[in-house]
Amino acid sequence: MKAPKILILRAAGTNCDLETENALRAVGAAPERVHVGQFRSGRRRLMDFDALVIPGGFSYGDDIAAGRVLANQVRLYLKDLRQFVRLGRPVLGICNGFQVLVKAGILPASNTCEQTASFTVNDSGRFESRWVNLRINSQSSCIFFKGLPEMIELPVAHGEGKLVLKSPRQLEEMKKNKTIVLQYVSDDGKISGYPDNPNGSVFNIAGLCNAEGNVLGLMPHPERFTAIHHHPNWTRQTFLKSGVGLEMFRNAVQHCRS
Amino acid sequence: MIAEIQPLEDLESACRRHSWSLNAQELAAVRRHFKALRRAPTRAELESIAQTWSEHCKHKTFTGPIRFSDGKKTERIANLFDRTIAKATRELARPWCLSSFKDNAGVVAFGKKKGRWAVAFKVETHNHPCAIEPYGGAETGVGGVVRDVLGVGLGAKPVLNTDVFCFAAPDFDGPLPEGALHPKRTLRSVVAGVRDYGNRLGIPTAAGGLCFDPGYRLNPLVFVGTVGLLPTWALKKEVKAGDLIVAAGGRTGRDGLHGATFSSAGLSADSPASAVQIGHPLNEKKLLDALLAARDKRLYRAVTDCGAGGFSSAVGEMAEGRGARVRLENAKLKASDLKPWEIWLSESQERMVLAVPPKNLKALSEVFAAEDCELSVLGEFTSTGRLVVTHEGQAVVDLDLKFLHHGLPRVEKTAVWTAPKPQAVKVEQVKRSPAEILKFCLSHLNVCSREWIIRQYDHEVQAGTVIKPLQGVRHDGPGDACVIWPHAATGEMKDFSAFAVSHGLNPAYGRLDPYRMALACVDEALRNLICVGADVEHAVLLDNFCWASPDDPRQLGALVRAAQGCHDAAKGFGTPFISGKDSLYNQSKDANGKDAAIPGTLLISALAPVADARRALTMDIKGPGNALYLVGCTGEELGGSLLAQACDLPGGCAPKVDPKTAASAFKAVAAAIAKGLVLSAHDLSEGGLAVAAAEMSFSGEFGAAIDLDMVAKAGPIYSNEVLLFCESQSRLLLEVKPEKEAALLKALKGVVVKRVGVTMANPILKVIGLDGLVCLEEPLCALKAAWQGTLPRLLS
Amino acid sequence: MSVKTAAWTIEVKLKADLADAEGQSALSLLQGLGVLTTRACRATRLYELRCGLNAAQLQQVARELLCDPITQDFRVVPGGARPPVLNGMTHWRVEVWPKGSVADPAGETVRSAIAEMGLPQPERVRVGTAYLISGRCGRGQLEKAVVRGLANPVVHDAAVTESHP
Repeated sequence: MKAPKILILRAAGTNCDLETENALRAVGAAPERVHVGQFRSGRRRLMDFDALVIPGGFSYGDDIAAGRVLANQVRLYLKDLRQFVRLGRPVLGICNGFQVLVKAGILPASNTCEQTASFTVNDSGRFESRWVNLRINSQSSCIFFKGLPEMIELPVAHGEGKLVLKSPRQLEEMKKNKTIVLQYVSDDGKISGYPDNPNGSVFNIAGLCNAEGNVLGLMPHPERFTAIHHHPNWTRQTFLKSGVGLEMFRNAVQHCRS
Repeated sequence: MIAEIQPLEDLESACRRHSWSLNAQELAAVRRHFKALRRAPTRAELESIAQTWSEHCKHKTFTGPIRFSDGKKTERIANLFDRTIAKATRELARPWCLSSFKDNAGVVAFGKKKGRWAVAFKVETHNHPCAIEPYGGAETGVGGVVRDVLGVGLGAKPVLNTDVFCFAAPDFDGPLPEGALHPKRTLRSVVAGVRDYGNRLGIPTAAGGLCFDPGYRLNPLVFVGTVGLLPTWALKKEVKAGDLIVAAGGRTGRDGLHGATFSSAGLSADSPASAVQIGHPLNEKKLLDALLAARDKRLYRAVTDCGAGGFSSAVGEMAEGRGARVRLENAKLKASDLKPWEIWLSESQERMVLAVPPKNLKALSEVFAAEDCELSVLGEFTSTGRLVVTHEGQAVVDLDLKFLHHGLPRVEKTAVWTAPKPQAVKVEQVKRSPAEILKFCLSHLNVCSREWIIRQYDHEVQAGTVIKPLQGVRHDGPGDACVIWPHAATGEMKDFSAFAVSHGLNPAYGRLDPYRMALACVDEALRNLICVGADVEHAVLLDNFCWASPDDPRQLGALVRAAQGCHDAAKGFGTPFISGKDSLYNQSKDANGKDAAIPGTLLISALAPVADARRALTMDIKGPGNALYLVGCTGEELGGSLLAQACDLPGGCAPKVDPKTAASAFKAVAAAIAKGLVLSAHDLSEGGLAVAAAEMSFSGEFGAAIDLDMVAKAGPIYSNEVLLFCESQSRLLLEVKPEKEAALLKALKGVVVKRVGVTMANPILKVIGLDGLVCLEEPLCALKAAWQGTLPRLLS
Repeated sequence: MSVKTAAWTIEVKLKADLADAEGQSALSLLQGLGVLTTRACRATRLYELRCGLNAAQLQQVARELLCDPITQDFRVVPGGARPPVLNGMTHWRVEVWPKGSVADPAGETVRSAIAEMGLPQPERVRVGTAYLISGRCGRGQLEKAVVRGLANPVVHDAAVTESHP
């Protein structure tokens, strides 16, 4: 079967693109890292790809605000992104990529192109790099988490990861349509505060998807957990399953094939 | 615009006015040279010479002649570096060292696929800028060392950053002179600078250390290192006449003039502020991406970074043995009013110079344009042996490259070393209980948890940090070293070849004996590598000397001793040095106007391959009922130890290292670990056995019971405290499964190793003293709290 | 064609109901330096634009680029940075700008991002920070603390102004 063509969108300051490419290749995809400038010049087209990943990093130095400049470029140069989403092709935003999806108005999904949520500086006031416990919303239709256990672990590394919503009503709506797909929890699965919730996100939100489940944005880094040796406790042999991140990428590739 | 001419009669005052650090002999050499030419030099020529001949660029002290006397005999050392560190490397002649001391960084072979990959390692200091503007100083320090590695061969992809800081305690409350920053502010800002720059470049900062000593209050030390990976075909660089001189990256501005000359003199209140810059990580990232893309298309023949001295150094260096013709009006500028000599000497960050065959220029321009990275063609390399620089047709520099690179007159320096009289430490004066001393040690700034810092660094970007700096059940125990599996650089996820990096540094030993300090630092760095399962037989070392003024014979004497220690350590352990750097004149006037010098400091950084990352090791205790084995002998060596500090015991000798014995023990332990006989390993350093056992226990959340009677002693020792806290070198604590004990002992045949205790489910640390009674029993949570509390309390 | 350029400052601050981590850490820094009477501190990002943009274009830049619609508010102030007028004796405004001689990476990003929006590229953009501090304290004391904690005279220009009429 043909390997799905997956676009890894780069910009100045993107820095998790190579490991994302390795992870995708490991699950049988044909990833390609393409600079956003190629879309500006019209040399490449989004529609030629089967899926889109916006990887982590500090696009444009995170100057002004994390992901802001790249989000504006996505609006300008990837005009057919909404169409891409409507066609059901998988879109994944990791960390800085999640910030871009939110600031470009793709997540939380709305009928308009308006931005309805945002990120602000972690409550601790510092960049935080640590592994966190996460709970997957088992009722969500998100394609990336198919077959995964309810509780997973992934690393986060960000300074501006606190998700802020436009209104409390929006939160209720998101709960109702099951788009809050990932939450920071304690090791026994309960909603709790710092450091379990590393940034102070509203309702401990770590990841959002659209109602159809083909768009996912998350702050944690799945590409940093593709082998069991990425897990901080692999030497204690308490974690012997395969990397959660790899399964997420595998799901995306499966979805492209089906 | 007419180039500024500098009359020869007035060289001395011009030298002072422009803060060139040229001495009388050097000025005389310049005068002679230009008298013979029958013309006066231009400002730009003198600036070029001052930069090239500065301590920072030429390492005059390390490579110049020294008359060294140690009280008994006097000898003339023609070239200290060549007679010590380089000599050891030469004599060891390890085939896996691909490039030592030649290029921007040392390079060794890497990985299973023989000859495919190489790894480059460089550690730099950025002390002077960090004293004045710690945030920008730290940023540009990281930027500089990353560019060093980008400029190795045809460019290596950075895969790891390291950071080691030496500061005064953040709660320092003594007087500070006008303009000096408080140590707490320096620490916070330096951490922020390393964080903001390293994180934005996408390079994990995963190895490092912290050392506090009041001697650093005016001169903080900031060591930043980078490890990079390059294909072996890209090792060779060669400039050909006719190649274009291409400047790439950021634009040239007035910022950062005189950095090299500035860091070659003591700090004073009127140090030029223009030498300090703020970094531009985004420009560096674009440069990094563009350069590596161009490398893989093989579009240029040589590359080097613009560091101290800017274009003058970079072009001057690349043109050595050839020649160069530069037209400064082609440089891309930040401001249009720059004078030609300013363009030539500016140290604006994030720039590199490439030698490009003319036919490749178009392709190169396309690659750089695709990454939004600027470049400009400055001129071309020639075969005239001259460095000719013009601006709009006006001559700015016309120098003989031979004079520039080899015209520096050598001035002999005097070094004196008087060995301090050995002074016995009065052990009977230990008045505090072992539990008190242990908590003192754990909460000591030089031992305590660095989590506050490490969490601010993205230490897992590139998804290769297999052994992380923080280890254990709750991911917060002190790792000995990190292990990096650089698949993001190689693209090979099925190959688990990796490498480990660690450090050794201890100025407290150096105060007593710089020679022993050097051996101890090498020992510590190698010990740390073993604990993560690295192959220490293939380890390599980097040295970074930070010293006060070498014009003081006693300071220079101590430096000579330390360098000799490096030589003997390298030879004894069979581990070569591949790169190094020195930063001298780390002294300034304190609040009373007295010269305050830093303690002579040597940072040893070590790198070793880990054949299979999946067999690496962490230091946390893995389960109850396992045996604890102590490798190495414990002697009564308290000089410079934390125990001596805790109980106010002056004097003593720095711990001694016998590299031959240590090396064979290390080799055996590494082999045992490779065979899978060891569950966890931790090195004994500051705080000795007690601290090592406590750290292993609270990180693994299993208790440990230790019997001091079982410890191998290098002579009669009757004090529990000495056995618990003394800092004898070359010791390791290993956790071993009962069924593997026999195999371990067999593997460690001929090595001093004793079963000193067991692990247990009960979360306490329990120590049985020499008299058979319990001398220490503490819950792990109390020990961990002491260890974790220090930095957050002082910094938040 | 020459376009007349003018200086504008766009001030962007977090909405009042959001916790301001940057302001909070500045506050604890000041308190740690002995200015114990400071009670609150909010940080405001300042963008000084020297440009030929008209009023509508400036609004567009602020709305679409510099200010986050969910978390922040902005105002456009003509001229260089100028302190706003607050009431009472206990309000201070500390402005910290990068010196003209040092790099301003964020300013450069803003400059090219504005051009990317299809608007005329500003001649120069500088990014600074204003700390709005409330609490009774002496100007001298505050100025000293600012130099010891929030700004380094080697690379920053800092100004403390009393924000009352």
